[in-house]
Amino acid sequence: MGYFCTYVPEEILYAAGVLPVRILGSHEPQDLTEPHIFAMFCPFCRDCLAQGLKNRYKYLDGLMIAQSCLHIRQAYTSWIKHRPVEFSKFLCMPHKVQSPHAYEFLTEEYKTFKNEVEDWMGKKITDKDLKNAIEVYNENRRLMRKLYELRKRDIPPITGEQVMEVVMAMQMTDKAEHNKMLKDLLKKLENHTPDRETGSRLMILGSEDDDTVFMNMVESCGATFVIDDHCTGSRYFWNEVENGKDLLSSIASRYIDRIPCPTKDWEERKRIPHILKLCKDWNVDGAIIMQQKFCDPHELEFVSIKKALEDAGVPTLFLEFDVTVPIGQFKIRVEAFLEMIGEEDLF
Amino acid sequence: MVKDRYFTGIDVGTSYIKAVIIDEKNKITGSFTNRSGADLQKSITTAFKGAVDAADVSQHAIKHITATGFGRRNVSFADSVKTEISCHAKGVYQYFPRKITIIDIGGQDTKIIKIDSQGKILSFKMNRKCAAGTGAFLEEISYKLNIPMSEMNALAAKSSKDAALSSFCTVFASTEILTRIKEGEKIEDMVKSAFESVARRVIEMDTLGGTIVMTGGVVAYNNAILKILAKSIGKEILTPPAPQLSGAFGAALFAREIEK
Repeated sequence: MGYFCTYVPEEILYAAGVLPVRILGSHEPQDLTEPHIFAMFCPFCRDCLAQGLKNRYKYLDGLMIAQSCLHIRQAYTSWIKHRPVEFSKFLCMPHKVQSPHAYEFLTEEYKTFKNEVEDWMGKKITDKDLKNAIEVYNENRRLMRKLYELRKRDIPPITGEQVMEVVMAMQMTDKAEHNKMLKDLLKKLENHTPDRETGSRLMILGSEDDDTVFMNMVESCGATFVIDDHCTGSRYFWNEVENGKDLLSSIASRYIDRIPCPTKDWEERKRIPHILKLCKDWNVDGAIIMQQKFCDPHELEFVSIKKALEDAGVPTLFLEFDVTVPIGQFKIRVEAFLEMIGEEDLF
Repeated sequence: MVKDRYFTGIDVGTSYIKAVIIDEKNKITGSFTNRSGADLQKSITTAFKGAVDAADVSQHAIKHITATGFGRRNVSFADSVKTEISCHAKGVYQYFPRKITIIDIGGQDTKIIKIDSQGKILSFKMNRKCAAGTGAFLEEISYKLNIPMSEMNALAAKSSKDAALSSFCTVFASTEILTRIKEGEKIEDMVKSAFESVARRVIEMDTLGGTIVMTGGVVAYNNAILKILAKSIGKEILTPPAPQLSGAFGAALFAREIEK
């Protein structure tokens, strides 16, 4: 089952014996999507749709999305229209997660969704299945938090680029399998000191971001990403499912209360104190705020996040991403930013 | 007797390469400006040799070379590299040691750099993937109007009318200028409007506080932009003695500091 957004309750799919696979782009220029998607929708949603139209996800039996933003929803609707799948689902994830009614609403949506998946798979999802799925997913989240803990070290044993690869693998593979590999990785990293300078400790935050080329470029300029706030990063796994009234409402609470995407972070901006805490706990020297071009929710957040970070003494660099990033131009900005934050060491 | 020591800064820009040689008193003893062109290596060597000749010093007396600009890594004989953001800040602060905002308009990018009273960079902004508000914008207009770039400044000075363009976009602006000239607008008014377009693009990039200093090749050859921008923001704008050399001068200052 391909899924478009990290608000999709993967536990329910996993419990039914369905493997959720995140839809990501390929970072290649393409000319397929122009008739199907508005030109001023973000490059990520166009890149994703292009993969569908190019039949690169031919192995999918189903495709689904949970409401987050209109841009990615357009990629979903266009995809199922032109490349129909056996099972498709638009899950109505509430926008106003801060409403007290959100829990009940989402639990009811999950009940319907569960029935639909059961009909499709031709078997019941038992409580035992759900419990097992929750356990596998929670373990995965705990292991990822452990991996992130290692990045607090003065010399982080793993780069931001490598962590990005781990997160992408996590969104594509069976979590039980990923857990096994994560445990191996954690064991290997326990006493590992990498053969590279850590340099400035950076945070990266913003919209969907799986641009490993960019990460590599920055980390080769004398810096290391030690923490992130991305849906292809910490936002995806930060929160666990906790024991609630019943299994579905426990899962619903998890997705309502998770570190929000800016489309859902209102009226109170809960993400800002979280970001500030990450900066402090991971001891960052500066933050790169990126966003996909035309990503309105993140663009809206940018002003207040930048102010909050700078008030807390964390310098910021803002970069706008496209399907491919202009590495040369960005390198100048990144190097200048690193020179700027490194200047303090001279005094 | 202690021999004189010299330091070089080479700013490899997208349009021009600037080389500056300074002595131990931070005085510019020689400089050379050369088009970047396709053969970057050759242009870099020519600029460096040109500056050495102009300074009339022996190459052995040059103790350190710092390269900057988009092609900073192409200066194979450089001893160190720095980004042009830091170099512009350094070069300008040398002349104006106070809280300043630097507006650097180069061939293909425009930078706004803010520095505090100690010379520390507080923030910087650069134009995105677009030529609006850069030297390339003016070059394109000059090409489309078939008026040499060297005559644009004098033409703009003749204009007494404000005739704003409706778009920053280089392509749309040149189409609009041609259309409006056809409709009877004076050429000088339209040339001035092109400079105004650059100024407006700069204003919308960032807030402009403190002392404003302009640098870069565009202002070096076209003081029209200086007057237009000063009028728009209602504030005097300063320029260092050789605005196009600011980055290279800053790089030379870094070279001297590193060698200390």
